[in-house]
Amino acid sequence: MKQSKFNKIRMRETLISYAFLAPALFFFCIFVLLPMIMGVVTSLFRYNMKGMTFIGLDNYVNMFKDEVWQKSLVNTLILVVGSVPITVLFALFVAAMTYEKNPFTRSFFRCVFFLPVVTGTVAVTVVWKWIYDPLNGILNWLLKSMNIIEKNIMWTGDKKFALWAILIILITTSVGQPIILYIASLGNVPKDYVEAAQVDGANDLQVFWQIKWPSLLPTTLYIVVITTINSFQCFSLIQLLTSGGPNYRTTTIMYYLYENAFKRFEYGYANAMGVVLALMIGLISFIQFKALGSDVEY
Amino acid sequence: MKKILSLGLAAALMATTLAGCGGSGGSETTAAPAADTGTTAAAGEAATTAGGSDAAAPAGAVEITWWAFPTYAQDADKPAGTYEAEIIAAFEAKNPDIKVNLETIDFTSGPEKITAAIEAGTVCDVLFDAPGRIISYAQNGKLVKLDDMFTDEFVKDVNNEALLNSCKSDDGSYYMYPISTAAFCMAVSKQALEAADAMSCINMEGDRTWTTAQFEEMLKKLNAAGFNGATVYCSGQGGDQGIRAFVTNIYDSQVTNDEVTEYTLNDEGGIKALTKIKEWVDAGYMLNGSAYNGGEDVDQFVAGNTAFTTLWSPGLASQRAETLTQNEIEAIALPFPSDDGVPELEYLVNGFCVFDNGDAAKAEASKKFIDFMCNDEEWGPKDVVRTSVFPVRQSMGDLYPGDEEMGFYASLTKYYSPYYNTIKGFAEMRTYWFPMLQAVLNGDSTPEDAVNDFVTKANQSIANAQ
Repeated sequence: MKQSKFNKIRMRETLISYAFLAPALFFFCIFVLLPMIMGVVTSLFRYNMKGMTFIGLDNYVNMFKDEVWQKSLVNTLILVVGSVPITVLFALFVAAMTYEKNPFTRSFFRCVFFLPVVTGTVAVTVVWKWIYDPLNGILNWLLKSMNIIEKNIMWTGDKKFALWAILIILITTSVGQPIILYIASLGNVPKDYVEAAQVDGANDLQVFWQIKWPSLLPTTLYIVVITTINSFQCFSLIQLLTSGGPNYRTTTIMYYLYENAFKRFEYGYANAMGVVLALMIGLISFIQFKALGSDVEY
Repeated sequence: MKKILSLGLAAALMATTLAGCGGSGGSETTAAPAADTGTTAAAGEAATTAGGSDAAAPAGAVEITWWAFPTYAQDADKPAGTYEAEIIAAFEAKNPDIKVNLETIDFTSGPEKITAAIEAGTVCDVLFDAPGRIISYAQNGKLVKLDDMFTDEFVKDVNNEALLNSCKSDDGSYYMYPISTAAFCMAVSKQALEAADAMSCINMEGDRTWTTAQFEEMLKKLNAAGFNGATVYCSGQGGDQGIRAFVTNIYDSQVTNDEVTEYTLNDEGGIKALTKIKEWVDAGYMLNGSAYNGGEDVDQFVAGNTAFTTLWSPGLASQRAETLTQNEIEAIALPFPSDDGVPELEYLVNGFCVFDNGDAAKAEASKKFIDFMCNDEEWGPKDVVRTSVFPVRQSMGDLYPGDEEMGFYASLTKYYSPYYNTIKGFAEMRTYWFPMLQAVLNGDSTPEDAVNDFVTKANQSIANAQ
């Protein structure tokens, strides 16, 4: 009798929990889960404005043979491999240098590095467009004034520089949030541990690596995963600055996906790219969780 | 009791969020009583999301939506959509049974918005655009046929087969109702040419036609005097029609054959032109434009950073007039130079289409609205002038009397080349154009290899679109 009443109460509580979850779950299903499923399903079709024809895995086969897609994959991986470590290290460096400063200085640096994040990609990109302008850009002017270059460089149009120019912008727009997170995380490292280590004769480097770094691992994991996902999804910078050029040197998978969907109206092919991109991000995030998550104690 | 209350609250929360999410759906006619059937659309409140008259539609009125690119010039300091709201007000005054909602869209995100809306089934009823996009929608079965609007009187009045054909899809039916047209050309800075002693290189007589040899001489003189030539812009699709026409004119090549069934830019003239352009860029006579699109090339010209631009039209001249004056630059419009001195020009056609939203009443109302905008005695000519180009109807006559410059632009209509923007797969072809130019300018491919590769892909795009 008692057990039955207990079960009834548990059932009621479960129902109530699901009832509270229901609104969010409903929207998650409609706006996230369903489009994902539709994306996978339509990737098996020749799907354009005219309609849909089932073609099995042809979109995937064609994609792996597509030279532009291959270039896009390489460019995307360069952006990920280039931006993630630099973002993490730079954010850690800035946070370590500023978290013990007085509140005003700390806030100033937070503000400086967070500004590109809150400003919005379009505004930031327009500013960078001016900086990189081949004829009137401030970067060329600066480098010429310092006698570093003799002739103007076409930063976003030159095959030697274009992808690196994009990488620099990507990093500047990515470091803001990690810096804020690291500053907060460093502030939470127990002072007792640090002082105990110092009493035991540990130098600054040992204190950082032995005491502070293990405490930062959960934050680092989050930053690495989020920065990796953002770098894989790099799109608006490309669209606004280079349209993938010169000659596909800056085309990313996201940009090529967009081009196929909205310029060529090949929705099924674009969805196949989306599916592969999602799988890649999922796989890499899984590896990152495995590699960085094992030592994390929450 | 608490649990029941919690459940009730959860249900209420769900209901509220769902209600918030719900829309009224696409009602075909408005049943609301008319609060004000007048057309009180204030000119200044033209809309970026929903404009037109702000009055409620009368009972039984057909409600249509018009998406407009910023093609009409606005009065000074007035936002986009202001003039369009005036048209709607005038139309609704004469047609109280039709309510028009206006939404202004821009050239950057507008095409994507249309594509997404077509797939989502939320596209507008009337669109003001050009054949390139409109005919591709028609080829995909998204538009209503407008054959009944092309009366004998209209066809006779237009009297331009190439222009009329640009409004047709491959099934032979008309899908775009044209209102105005003009040729794309180029412009040079008079001040720069005078300073470089290069005015003798251009022809200011008659239709101002000139040759590639004269153009090259101008380039050399400008370079010697320290002026930058135009950018061979190719960072994206924006304004690509201008640079394509420049390439094809230099050595009398053609983007497609006369029948507009096949791309032919890899002919002798096309390869020679790309080779020559690469030479000019390497010599510093023109600038590698891999970082600039058409609009940015024009920006550099009106700012005085370059001595000429290969993207110009009467509309651009009108839009950039103030900046040119501020920068003390007098722009001289010229046709593109060609080997034989006879240019073949690409041209814009502004016109309207009606999306097939499965509602005959809306389609009819849309046609009525288009007819008003193009053919109303008062608003037809006004609308043409607002596009800063020329009427397709010859009966409208000279809408710019005494304007010598507009007279010159009008004279270019005789140099119209075959209109290929309606070819199947045109949108896909454009995605191959600028990488091809970038490959040539950056030395990734020889001009011949690059243009051959472009033509192969472009011809494949025709097959892909079948």
